Amino acid sequence: MSKSLVVSFPEKCIGCELCVMEVQRQLNKIGLNGSPIRVFRNGTKFTVKVDITDSNIDLSKIREVCPTQVFTIQESVLDGLVE
Amino acid sequence: MDLLSNKPHIESISDTSLNVLVIDLARRSFERKTFSELHPYVGGIGTGAKLFSIYKTYDPLIFSIGPLNGFFPYASKTSIVLQHNNILEDLYLGGALSFKLQFLGVNSVVFLGQSVHPLAIEITQEDVKFYPASIDLNSLGLPGKSSYLNLGRQGVTLDNYFTAPEGYLEKKFSEKNLRSLVFTGNKVYTITRPEKYYELYKTLLDKAPEVTVTPSLNPSCSGCPLGCADSRVGEIGGALLTHTLVACNFARNIYSDIGTVFSCLDVLGYRYTHEELENVSYKISTLIRELNTSLQK
Repeated sequence: MSKSLVVSFPEKCIGCELCVMEVQRQLNKIGLNGSPIRVFRNGTKFTVKVDITDSNIDLSKIREVCPTQVFTIQESVLDGLVE
Repeated sequence: MDLLSNKPHIESISDTSLNVLVIDLARRSFERKTFSELHPYVGGIGTGAKLFSIYKTYDPLIFSIGPLNGFFPYASKTSIVLQHNNILEDLYLGGALSFKLQFLGVNSVVFLGQSVHPLAIEITQEDVKFYPASIDLNSLGLPGKSSYLNLGRQGVTLDNYFTAPEGYLEKKFSEKNLRSLVFTGNKVYTITRPEKYYELYKTLLDKAPEVTVTPSLNPSCSGCPLGCADSRVGEIGGALLTHTLVACNFARNIYSDIGTVFSCLDVLGYRYTHEELENVSYKISTLIRELNTSLQK
């Protein structure tokens, strides 16, 4: 069973980028470049893109660091390709 | 003995000098410089005031971050130093600009003189490009990695939302014929000793109740989870130690504590002593007083 981080409530994002810092810290990095989570700003609106492929990333820590609970973690039994 | 005790926790931070990008608007040229004499002033208002003393004949407009921006929560502002009516003013802008400057690998960006024609400037780690003000800003920068500071009908806005107080920045942009600045930060720092850094980061993040704002759902500054309404218009003046870092003035209960500041700097590899940190506010206020005296002559 695999877990994935899902942007379930994008309208709640306030653009603090704590999720970006958390995922980068787990990769022992500080910075925006190469982050598996990206936050795009336009005035008061934000778009969050997630592309986490590293199974060692602790998704619950990312979900918890978000002050407005933008993310949920979904479990799936489908690993890989299906017919 | 801990053999790692003298090694930095974060790679590629210089403990002895600060990186400054100096942009000459009249000549449309730029230079990256390193200043060891800025080190005692730590960052933010400190380095901004010292750079002002170096470049004061060129009417400098100076953007500075501090050593904690991008690394610790609530260190979320960018310091702006300029002269207005022969008085040195220090403004603080919220939003994501401090992250972009930290990830540009510069401590300060200094704009000298004025341009003949209205300008848009794109700043990256590799280059500084000058464009006519009419350029489509959407063609500059990188999505998610750039901040846009733009002079428009609503004054100077950062990312179409954050502004600086009092209109001083608008006036300076107009005087210098600046219309837009696009900052793109691509630099990544490697954490070499994560445990202590993580622990301190988490401790500070958990101090959110000590920040004197009401948590809300407004666009937040980078590195701050509070989404307060107060950050939109930025700040003017305030606690000097907090503003050397350059932390939010509403977080001064956290960053006015010398022990906390010392621990944060130590984890990043800075070797300031307690005494140096205790004296930095006096050092900066003396410098500002001298600068104001010389500006009024």
